[in-house]
Amino acid sequence: MSEADEKEELGADLLSALKGGGEEPAPPDVLAGFQKKVRERSGGKFYEEGWSTSRHPPINTYLITSLLMLAVLGIIYALLAPLSGEPVPVENTPQPVQIIPTPH
Amino acid sequence: MEAEDKEEARFIARLAARDERAFNELVVLYQERVFRILLRMLGRRDEAEDMAQEVFVQVFKAVSTFRGDSKLSTWIYRIAVNLCKNRVKYLKRRRAEAQDEYEALAERSPMTAGSGVMAGDIARPDHMVEGMQLERVVQLCIMELDEDFREVLVLRDVEDLSYEELCEVTGLPDGTVKSRLHRARAMLKQAVERKMGEKAK
Repeated sequence: MSEADEKEELGADLLSALKGGGEEPAPPDVLAGFQKKVRERSGGKFYEEGWSTSRHPPINTYLITSLLMLAVLGIIYALLAPLSGEPVPVENTPQPVQIIPTPH
Repeated sequence: MEAEDKEEARFIARLAARDERAFNELVVLYQERVFRILLRMLGRRDEAEDMAQEVFVQVFKAVSTFRGDSKLSTWIYRIAVNLCKNRVKYLKRRRAEAQDEYEALAERSPMTAGSGVMAGDIARPDHMVEGMQLERVVQLCIMELDEDFREVLVLRDVEDLSYEELCEVTGLPDGTVKSRLHRARAMLKQAVERKMGEKAK
């Protein structure tokens, strides 16, 4: 049966109403619910709770993590830098040149 | 076409390896279509939403058994339709039990319990239909169809599946699918005309 015959069988109006009249129902966010169900049923083996389960991890998480890491590095540097003290002076005066006489 | 098949095979391999990102992609890719089928078959948004999640959970559990005999989409539709039919049966049973409880309660209640309620307070079916859009009427009529008829009608006329895909999803031969679809359309048309006629009166 061709598409035209099918339209004939049901009628264009009815077919259009059946398809939703061109107005799609707003789809729900199935992903979050799916992840939650899998997490619960797998005992946390899959989709472990955390920012990685989100489809769009919040940008703040990355920003805060980066700033925290910088702060930690800064603190470590500030603690370790005074311990290193002044650089030890190195004696680098050149030795007098000794001329070796050539044998005759 | 071959490249598409290879791409799908790679994707299925990722799914079989329980790659969470692959499942995220799968859900995002199919959630709308699955939801639309479920909404048309169950007629309730909350039920359809919950069932859509359940469909993907089933896919997650069973993807390692997917042999690739059919397209991935067809396989997902089959899971959706089967879950949906089970749910419809469960809801019917529950409704019947609720009806029994209601009737038992009515039998126990004295006749005077209904005093003060005027006949005009009870919404008449024709009044209820008034103001409904054709789409709403169609949805009501779909819900009156038997699940087997509803299934082929929704898959073909809402989701535009080919007859070949319909056979794969339902597991029925081509002739049965066509005759069932023909009968489903006739029943739907009749039901809609009856309801619209009631509305016109």
